[in-house]
Amino acid sequence: MNKEQDLLAKVIQKKGNFERGEKNCITDIQGVRIGHLTVNKDLVDPSSDSKVRIRTGLTAVLPYSMEREERLFMEEFILHGGKETTGYQVTKDFCYLNSPIAITNSFDVGAVYDAILSYGFALGRSEIWPPFVVGIDDFYLNGIKKSHMDEKAILNAFHRASGEVVEEGSVGIGLGLRAFDAKGGIGTSSRKFPMGSSQFHIGILVVSAHGNRESSGNENSLIITAAVDMPLVPYQIRHITKGLTFGLPAALNPTGYTDAVQCVLFTTANPMSMENEGPPVFDFKALDDSFLPKIIQAGSEAIQEAILRSLIKAVPVQGKDGRLCDPIPAPSIEKIMRDLE
Amino acid sequence: MKRRNFIKGAVCGISLIPGITDKKGRLENLSSNIEADLPRKRLRELGIRIGTLEPGPFNAITDVSGVKVGHKTIIKGEGPMAARTGVTVIFPHAGNIYEENVFASCFDLNGWGEMTGAAAIEASGKLKTPIFLTGTYNVGIVHKAAVHYLSKINPAMGDTGRTVSPVVAECFDDFLSHTMSRQITEKDVSQAIENAKSGPVEEGSVGGGTGMTSFGFKGGIGTSSRKVDDSHMVGVLVMANTASREDLRIDGVPVGREIAGYEYVSGKTKSIILIAATNAPLLPFQLKKIAKRVAMGLAQTGAISRTGSGDIILAFSTANRITRKNQAPFHDIKAVNDYRITPFYQATVDATQEAILNALTSARTVVGRDGNTAHGIPLDQVIRIMKKYNRIGNAAYE
Repeated sequence: MNKEQDLLAKVIQKKGNFERGEKNCITDIQGVRIGHLTVNKDLVDPSSDSKVRIRTGLTAVLPYSMEREERLFMEEFILHGGKETTGYQVTKDFCYLNSPIAITNSFDVGAVYDAILSYGFALGRSEIWPPFVVGIDDFYLNGIKKSHMDEKAILNAFHRASGEVVEEGSVGIGLGLRAFDAKGGIGTSSRKFPMGSSQFHIGILVVSAHGNRESSGNENSLIITAAVDMPLVPYQIRHITKGLTFGLPAALNPTGYTDAVQCVLFTTANPMSMENEGPPVFDFKALDDSFLPKIIQAGSEAIQEAILRSLIKAVPVQGKDGRLCDPIPAPSIEKIMRDLE
Repeated sequence: MKRRNFIKGAVCGISLIPGITDKKGRLENLSSNIEADLPRKRLRELGIRIGTLEPGPFNAITDVSGVKVGHKTIIKGEGPMAARTGVTVIFPHAGNIYEENVFASCFDLNGWGEMTGAAAIEASGKLKTPIFLTGTYNVGIVHKAAVHYLSKINPAMGDTGRTVSPVVAECFDDFLSHTMSRQITEKDVSQAIENAKSGPVEEGSVGGGTGMTSFGFKGGIGTSSRKVDDSHMVGVLVMANTASREDLRIDGVPVGREIAGYEYVSGKTKSIILIAATNAPLLPFQLKKIAKRVAMGLAQTGAISRTGSGDIILAFSTANRITRKNQAPFHDIKAVNDYRITPFYQATVDATQEAILNALTSARTVVGRDGNTAHGIPLDQVIRIMKKYNRIGNAAYE
């Protein structure tokens, strides 16, 4: 058993109060698919003859089959930081998601935004606006300070998005990220629990680029994407995003070393069909508020596991100026796990 | 409430010539459209004054010292693929805004719109980039161009310096422009940046306002300013693409209900982006309150902020500069005493109303996609109605 498997086994053996979902991934929420575009290239800058190491990417969460004209309730809670987050006003005021959620580097936000429009137009949707793109910094390892992704590659990531087990670690936007002064990246986990006679899930995907004590001041963000399949309405979703964010344990979100924590949560229940602009009145269901603490507890467990997985699944990446970023050493993970007890 | 709105109509291939055809390509009575051909004027040039405070020398956002505005107007082709779009850029001060940030705050009266970078402004209280105004589907391309521009003049960005989220705001210009084809390039954005200057600001169907319609007439860019005292100024610039004709009030007069002819073919309402600038030292929490008064100025034009109207407001103050590289433990910050802030509210409300109306009175008739025509508001009718209500040539209002 190698070190990574050993650590993962410890994480998985850790019993919480909730059962893991079937895949233990955000894709346990039916319909949710994840697409990664990993850009790992070395170019030669002709002006200086120096090597430009591109270590970046895009991770997209497709909330449902985008052929359908649907909107899902979503809320975004920004604890601090305020990384680029497009679609901000519509999310805040209208509380819905109408596009893939895409997380990329801050230079490619425009390119990804534009590609999401092209994606929606090509699907024949009457609406894929506003694109929801989060831009974070990966410039410790990523050497290119320019938008580099082309539309075809971005569209490919959407088309290839899969509802199977999610690739984690140094993939997608995770390739160039640093967390806890080691290699950061993508992690996912899920929990399931009964409510009434139904079985519901919460799925988490984290982008770990936080907890760096030796930071160049360019990074330190934790982006949490959460999906659920129980019927909620926006004020409840907002309540949960706040609970998940404030519930982050200090061992996984060292206060003072993290300058952006953002959490979005959408529910695939209560889809709003917008065919022919939708009906005059929507019929929604809403969970009783007394269940909300349970969702927060289950989500918190999944977030903790997802952050640990993002660190454990990372691989060494060498990037800008030859900087090498190794995965977090096993004793450090073990210490974090002890702190979590 | 769709951003994309197919309007089927016969193709009319004549652009920027007022009053030739109606929406369905039928010839209209040319004589009834002559008034739209009159030289366009600013509201004040029609003898209409809003409020009692005096405007600055240019009656524009550029009266706030250091603020520069640049337009790039894109008029391409005719028929279904016609482009009537563009981009307008506002530089908050004459220096390098990435190195010298200013305080800012946003207020969404109705969030059905996009203003990128707003999350960062709300988190940091600071504006760190120029402000770009454009058509809805151009946002990605303009954002990319803005990041490239900022990183080119600031090599530290994305290296030792943080990246910033450029402010790119939009309205939907699809009535006059084929928006899905996104006929804007990074070069267009560079040209808007090169065109940025202080002094008088071109208004109406220019830059980001090229394809915008407002109050059932041609809308676009409008600006105005007010002097609060000898040294303090409030300036407002809008990209107006909102409201219906019957909403329109000018200084309280229900002009929109009395105006005749020039039926506007699309009932769709869109959005308005409003930017307020002041050289008075205000902190972000105070700028939030200025931004809310901007919304009151919008309300005075009769607009009701319909559900499909993204009414998004940003206010900034050029007085306090936070220098990125400044490692000193303290910054010297000034702030207006809240007991003395009301005149700034007055200036903001009045300048906003006048800026929106300037966009209307300055904008010429534009024929665009599929021959869709947005008429310039007939100024002779505006004068006639305002006279009827005793608002022009009445000493009490001068």
